[in-house]
Amino acid sequence: MPSQNAVNRSEREIVVETRNLSKTYRDFWGRSKKVALKPLDLEIRRGEIFGLLGPNGSGKTTTLKLLLGLIFPTSGEALVFGRDATDVSKNERIGYLPEESYLYKFLDAEETLDFYGRLFDMPPEQRKQRADALIEMVGLSRDKKRQLKEYSKGMTRRIGVAQALINDPELVLLDEPTSGLDPIGTREMKDLIIDLKKRGKTVIMSSHLLADVEDVCDRIAVLHLGELKELGRVEDLLRVTDVTQIRAKGLSTNAHEEIRALLKRHGGEEIEIGNPRTTLEDLFLEVVRDTQARPGRRARTSGISDT
Amino acid sequence: MVLEEEIPRFAAWIGPALLWYLFAGSLVAVLVAAVAWLVQSALYGPLAAGDRVYRGVLSGLVDLSGMSLRRIWALSRLAVQESLRRNVLVVLGIFALIVLFAGWFLDPTSVNPGKLYLGFILAATSLLVCLVTLVLSVFSLPADIRGKAIQTVTTKPVRTGEIVLGRIIGFSIVGTVLLALMGGVGWAFVVRSVRHGHEIAAEDLVEIRNDDGVSTGQEGRTSLDRGHRHRVDIATNGTGRTDTVQGHRHTVLTVKSGVQNGSSDQVTYEIGPAEGLLEARKPLRGTLRFVDREGRPSAKGISVGAEWSYRQYIEGGSLAAAIWTFGGLTEQSFPEGLPLEMIVRVFRTYKGEIERGIAGSVRVRNPSSGLQSDPFYFQAKEYTIDSLTIPRTLATTSADGGTRQIDLFADIVSNGRVEVVLQCLESAQYYGVAQADFYLRAGNGSFAFNYAKSCLGIWFSMLLVTAMGVMFSTFLSGPVALLATLSVVLLGQFREFILRLFESQVTGDTSIVPGGGPIESLYRIVTQTSITLDLDPSTTVTAMKTLDTFLLAPMRLGAALFPSLATLGTGDFVAGGFDIPVDLLAAHAMETFGYLMAFFLVGSLCLKAREVAS
Repeated sequence: MPSQNAVNRSEREIVVETRNLSKTYRDFWGRSKKVALKPLDLEIRRGEIFGLLGPNGSGKTTTLKLLLGLIFPTSGEALVFGRDATDVSKNERIGYLPEESYLYKFLDAEETLDFYGRLFDMPPEQRKQRADALIEMVGLSRDKKRQLKEYSKGMTRRIGVAQALINDPELVLLDEPTSGLDPIGTREMKDLIIDLKKRGKTVIMSSHLLADVEDVCDRIAVLHLGELKELGRVEDLLRVTDVTQIRAKGLSTNAHEEIRALLKRHGGEEIEIGNPRTTLEDLFLEVVRDTQARPGRRARTSGISDT
Repeated sequence: MVLEEEIPRFAAWIGPALLWYLFAGSLVAVLVAAVAWLVQSALYGPLAAGDRVYRGVLSGLVDLSGMSLRRIWALSRLAVQESLRRNVLVVLGIFALIVLFAGWFLDPTSVNPGKLYLGFILAATSLLVCLVTLVLSVFSLPADIRGKAIQTVTTKPVRTGEIVLGRIIGFSIVGTVLLALMGGVGWAFVVRSVRHGHEIAAEDLVEIRNDDGVSTGQEGRTSLDRGHRHRVDIATNGTGRTDTVQGHRHTVLTVKSGVQNGSSDQVTYEIGPAEGLLEARKPLRGTLRFVDREGRPSAKGISVGAEWSYRQYIEGGSLAAAIWTFGGLTEQSFPEGLPLEMIVRVFRTYKGEIERGIAGSVRVRNPSSGLQSDPFYFQAKEYTIDSLTIPRTLATTSADGGTRQIDLFADIVSNGRVEVVLQCLESAQYYGVAQADFYLRAGNGSFAFNYAKSCLGIWFSMLLVTAMGVMFSTFLSGPVALLATLSVVLLGQFREFILRLFESQVTGDTSIVPGGGPIESLYRIVTQTSITLDLDPSTTVTAMKTLDTFLLAPMRLGAALFPSLATLGTGDFVAGGFDIPVDLLAAHAMETFGYLMAFFLVGSLCLKAREVAS
């Protein structure tokens, strides 16, 4: 068993570091065409789920590509496991899920994972074992002999996740991981990300879906027009310090009035007192689970109870 | 067959060639690094540029050392699977169609149908195989980059060299399988197409008698098959042979069956299979020199005005002669005498009897003592290989007119060397010969094996086309890479011409290649000016010639840098019935390997320097 000091030291280890990392796309004549990323300084530590958040064109994917060595920085540097991002050997410890699963459509699931396993120089038995486990994990066992061109988007995404994990990576980079997934797939993806963290993996994900980032990320960097706007822990960034939130269950209308009076007495400004709303994602998942648990039962027409 | 240059022995040049290759490779590497530094300097300044180039070189070397066979094989397998997905096997159907309908446009009555069929099949095979692998190789990588599948590969611990090599190997495997299948079908097609027999009955033959009325044999003509028939001579012992028609002849055997029902012997004639059609002659070649019409040594023969100066001519009815010196002869190698085969071209200054060849003579001579045999007479015909066996026992006539018997090896061959003297006997007619035209038939190789060796030549071409296609596709889009590769192939086809044209342009020696470069040629076409006329000096002409030089310079560079696929082809040997020399194949193999290495390195470097996700 590693000592507590060793664990702490490991958690403090910087897995990814960027220093003044910037990217400018140029035209054929070398003239600046688009500044995709302005100088960026980041440190991502082992075991974190780090989110790159921003609207389309904000530089999230550019940052990921720079970290992967798919494109080269205009200035600054990106270090992954202490090595330059263009160093191929770092990829031994990395898994990458692109925004869309860019895989070879003429292969089936088994062949796909076997192919990517070979790229990690894995011996045949290990490849087979790993591929079987991952196919099982992403729920493609029944479809593993079908060519990927026959897969739905969700299935393609799942085999994409499997290929990203074929080498049991220490660092997983996910570009818009929930893009194109239905609510169940989204939830499974988020569960998977949290599970990866539990297994000690470091995850960097980019997304423009705020709820996804909020649900799973420990820290986030908010990018806009290629510039870092915010960086910190999610709970710190989202905490509204001048607002007090009280959540209670089973209070009567009279109790609501008493609370209002109490707020007035203390000079507080009442913002809202009432029944909170659940999220549409939670509502959808509950309906689906309910339907699966009791097939044939009619859908409810009114709202659901508090969660 | 034409052999413009001697084939050097492999062992004689491989050592210096490898050293030169390493030196040239190192020089190019230094030049590339210098150019990279200059480009980077313009963007990032000299110090940062130096650091980038250093790190790039170091990273490249580390990548090369870290290549894995398993990854290369994985990428090769992927390339094969991709090819199959693209229905590459359809090309086999196209080839089958070509073979099925070949009979429509191949003339079985041609001068040498074996050569025609072989040339056609080898050309079709080469074209289809190279075209298929070219298309596969140039579009694969750009498609992966455009479809972004490359991103899931390059984010694995894959070296760019592995991606390039994997594709080269994968598509080469596809090309190899196609070549093997087409080669096999082609071989069967050729053998089946040229295989034929003839018939001859007793009534087709007439008895030949001498002045005393004694039979000396029979002569006649065979049946007409495959568009030709042969004249037959049968000796009194019942064996005979036909004349050579369409590049082949047959043996004839008289078969007598026993007495049946009181009747006399029944006689039938068996005509053997065609000889000389699908052969693999192993020639022993000599060196050629000339003697002019006065009997004096001459560096060259006579030019009869042919633009192609491969063959030199000797004048008939004079002392002019072509003399070959053969070496390395032993009694053990040629116990029956010297099997001489001759390709003699005829240039007639008057038509004469066109069906009859031009008379000539061949003598063998001791290169040391000058003792020579009496002449052997023959008639030279166009497009045929004449054969003549110089027997062990020869006659020689001395100056006083006395004739005596001499032994070939005891009296004529000196230190393993012998001279063969060719003369044309008819005045005002000429024989045209080249060094490769006279040879001693040292043995026969297997035709099937020779055909396989020829397919090996196609394989070399296919490898180079594939590697070039992959190399260009690392930095060009698919269609542009296709055009670039085709341009290089075309450039290679005209390599010798471009080299000579550039030399002519730079030195101003119009005798090397008359007519000038592309601009001057266009000017001459438009103004209908002959290429043999010098243009009057003017500013326009000077500008035209200067522009031509600038246009030809990159072509000259390209012609020098890239391989010429035309030189890798060995179809002429097989079609001509000659064994492909191992030295030649070894040279082609080394040339192919050398270029493959270069294409692989350039492709890896370009892909490494490229942002695959930009």
